[in-house]
Amino acid sequence: MVVDKLNQERIVLLTAIVLFVFFSITLNGFIDPGNLLSLVQNVSILGILGVGMALAIIGRGIDLSILSTMPVSAAWMLNLINDGMPIWLALACALAFVVLVGIVNGVLIAYVEVPAIFATLAMGIVVYGIGKAWLVPIDSVYIRGGESWFYAIGTGRILGVPTPVIVFAGVALLAWLFLRYLKPGRFIYGIGDNPLAARITGMPVRPMIVLQYILISIIALVAGIVTATALSGINTRVALSTMVYDVILVVVLGGIGLSGGKGGIRNVIVGTLLIGILLNGMTIMNLSYTVQNILKSVILLAAIVVDTLLNPRDEQTAQHGDI
Amino acid sequence: MTPLIEMRQVTKEYRGVPAVTNVDFVLRRGEIHAVLGENGAGKSTLTKMMCGVTQPTGGQMLLEGEPVLFRTPAEALEKGVAMVFQETSLVPSMTVAQNLYLGDEKLFNRIRGLNIAAQTFLQSMNFNVNPTATVSSLGAAHKQMVEIARAVRKNVRVIIFDEPTAALTPEEKHHFFALIGRLKQQGVSIIFISHNLEEALQIADRITVLRDGELVASDQTSRFDRDKIVRAMVGRSLSNSLYRKHSGEGARAVGDRVLSVQNVSMGNIVKNTSFSVYAGQVTGMFGLIGSGRTEVAKIVAGVAKRNFFNGGEIKLNNASVRYRVPRQAVRDGIVYVTEDRKVEGFFETMTIAENLHMGALAAGLNKTVVVSMAEMRELAETWTKRLNVKAINSNARVIELSGGNQQKVVIAKSLAQEPKIIIFDEPTRGVDVGAIAEIHQFINELADRGLAVVVISSYLPEILNLSDRILVCRSGRVVEEFSPEEATEDKVMFAAVH
Repeated sequence: MVVDKLNQERIVLLTAIVLFVFFSITLNGFIDPGNLLSLVQNVSILGILGVGMALAIIGRGIDLSILSTMPVSAAWMLNLINDGMPIWLALACALAFVVLVGIVNGVLIAYVEVPAIFATLAMGIVVYGIGKAWLVPIDSVYIRGGESWFYAIGTGRILGVPTPVIVFAGVALLAWLFLRYLKPGRFIYGIGDNPLAARITGMPVRPMIVLQYILISIIALVAGIVTATALSGINTRVALSTMVYDVILVVVLGGIGLSGGKGGIRNVIVGTLLIGILLNGMTIMNLSYTVQNILKSVILLAAIVVDTLLNPRDEQTAQHGDI
Repeated sequence: MTPLIEMRQVTKEYRGVPAVTNVDFVLRRGEIHAVLGENGAGKSTLTKMMCGVTQPTGGQMLLEGEPVLFRTPAEALEKGVAMVFQETSLVPSMTVAQNLYLGDEKLFNRIRGLNIAAQTFLQSMNFNVNPTATVSSLGAAHKQMVEIARAVRKNVRVIIFDEPTAALTPEEKHHFFALIGRLKQQGVSIIFISHNLEEALQIADRITVLRDGELVASDQTSRFDRDKIVRAMVGRSLSNSLYRKHSGEGARAVGDRVLSVQNVSMGNIVKNTSFSVYAGQVTGMFGLIGSGRTEVAKIVAGVAKRNFFNGGEIKLNNASVRYRVPRQAVRDGIVYVTEDRKVEGFFETMTIAENLHMGALAAGLNKTVVVSMAEMRELAETWTKRLNVKAINSNARVIELSGGNQQKVVIAKSLAQEPKIIIFDEPTRGVDVGAIAEIHQFINELADRGLAVVVISSYLPEILNLSDRILVCRSGRVVEEFSPEEATEDKVMFAAVH
C-alpha cells in the first residue's frame, strides 16, 4: 500500500530534500561546497549525541544526562592534559568517569526501577555539580599547547571531509552494526518493544539496560572530545542549555517513536539532515535565535501530527487481528 | 413488527481491507442474539458499528425502522444502545460505586449515598462486589461484573457484550446468564459475541455466524447444533480425531520425573503446594481464577517476582533450583508460554521471523555475539511451516495477525528455545476454533516427542482432551489428581470448587 510507505522517516526525508532545493534556489551561497561542508560539520555533534539518545529511546528509555556528561568529561580531560598528563591517560580517566556515570544511570533504571527520565535528569545535575565542584572549577577550559594528532580530531580533514563528519559517520556505523548484528543490540530492541515479553523470553533485561547507558555515556564523551577539539576548548555551561531538546528533536523527528522498539540509526541521520539544513538556511537568512527555536518546534509538532494522521494509533489499527 | 436494529448491507473497510462485507443483520425486540465466528471473522467490527465505536463505510443501520448513524458511543447510548467491551473501560483508581455512576455525578456528590445506591443496585443483580473497593484491586471477573452493571444501569434497550464470560468462573457465569434472562424479560435485547458454542446454544434465542467478514448463517437456535455451527464458522468440518477423548487410547507412559515442586508458598495466593511433572506426558492443571495455578507456574519458571516467595523447594532433575529471573529457567530448559500474549507474549513491532529469533537468541543456543540473519530466516521458515502460521506476507508485524496466529508465534518463539519442560498457560484463550485444533494437536506431538508438557486451563474440555494426568488446583494448592480414565467433567469441577 502506498499509504503505508509514507511514514515519518520518509516525510522528514522528503521535507529535507524540499528544503534543500528551496534553499539552493532562494539563498545565495547555500549550494556552495564550502557551505555544505560546514553544514554537515555543524550538525555532526548533534548527530553523534542523537545516536546516543536513539540508543536510549529504542530501549524505551531516555537519557537527559548526556548533555552534562559530554562537556564535563571532555573538560576534565582537557584539564588533565593541560596539567601535564599524557593524552592516553587523560582519555582513560575520562572514559572511566563516563562509564561510571553510565553504570549509575543503568543501575538506577534497571535495578532500582527509577523511571529513566527522572534518574537521568537527576544524574545530569549530579554530574554537572561534581564537575563544577571538583573536576573543572571554571566554566570554560581551553586547549593549551601544541599541535598533536589529538587536536586534529575536531579540525582535521581526511580527503577533504572534516573529521567531525567522519567521527559522526563512524559512530553511526558502529551503532548501526551494534543494533542490527550484535545480540545485545537485538535485545535492546526487544526490551524497548515489550520489556515484559523480553523478560519472559529469557533476555538479560537488567544487564542490557546498564550496558545501554554505558554505551550512551561513551558516545557522549566522543561528542565532547569532538566539540572540544573543534572549538579548541569546551564550555561546561552547555549542560545548562536547551541543547538536550535539540538532541531529542533530531531523534524524534527522524521517526524513532518514544514508545520504544521502533526506528534505527537511519532515522537519526535523516533527522540530523533536516535540522542541519534548516539551521544552516536560517543562519544564512540571519534569523534570530528565538525565531529559529520557534521554527524548530513547529516543525517537530508538524512531523508528529502528520505521522499521527497517516498512522493513526487507535484501537482498531493497533489490533488488526481482532476485527 | 419492525426489528429493533437492522443492518442493511453494511460494509467496513480498514485501509482498503474489508473487515465486514455486505452483512444483513436483524436484532428483534427482547431476544438474546449470539454472534459467533472465528477471530477475524468481523464479530467485533459488526457490533462496534452498532454502538458507534466505528462507522460503516457502506450500507445502512436502522433503529426501529429509522436510518441512524452513530458517530460516537455517546450518541448510541443516548438512543439506548450500549456495549460492554472485552477490555474493561473502568477507571482503575476509582471505587466500584464511583465507576458505576461515572458521568452521572451530581454537582455535589455524596460518597455515602453513592455507595448505598451502588450496593442496592449490585445486590439487585446478585453481584457480589464491594462498592467501596477500588477497581484496581478487583480480579478480572469482578471487573467484568462492574462493567456489566454499569451498562445495565443506563436503562438501555440494547446491550452488546463482547466475550462476556471469558473471565468468569462457572458460578459467576450462572449468575450472569440469570441476569441476562432477567434483562430479556424487561424487554432489553441482548447481543453477545462469544467463542463458546455451548454457551450460545444454551442461552441464545437466535444465532448468527460470521466468517471472513460475511454472514454465513443466521437462524433460531433450535435449528443449530454444535456441528452445524462449527461447520459454518470454519467452512469445513473439523476432523473429530483432533477432538478425540484421550481416555480411549489410554494415557502416555510415565517418563522420568523432571520437575518436582514441594511445599511452595507465595503470599496468600499459593499455599504450600506440591506436585510433580514427568517427561513425555501432558500434565493438565485445572483450576478456577484465583486458584493459584498461574502463579505456581510463574514461580517455577522464574517469572514471578520473588518478593512474596515464602519458601518451599523446586527440584529440576533432582537438583534444587530457585530462579530469580526467567533467564536462568530458560537456559535450564523451562519455558513458560504466557496466558496474556498481548501484554507479555510477543514483540509487536517485529515480524514473525524477528520474534522467533528473539526467542532463540535469548535462550543462548548459539554462543556467538554476532547474530545471523540466515539463521533467523531459517527459523521463521521452519516454524511457520510446522505450526501453520498464516500471515499476509513475511514482513507482517505480529500485531497485525489474528489471535490464533499470534498465539502460534508465541508458542513457536518458546519452542525455538529448545525447552525440556514447557508450560502452556491458557494456550487457546482468544484463539479461533481452527487454530485451537491445530494447537492441541501440536501439544500432543510435543509430549509424544518426550517433552514434559504442562497445560494450565480453565476450559475443562481442553484439559480432559489433552491431559495424561489431571491436577486440580483450589485456593492456592494442588488438591487432587485424576487419571484421564477416571476424570469426568463433574468430578474435576467438583474438586475445583469444593
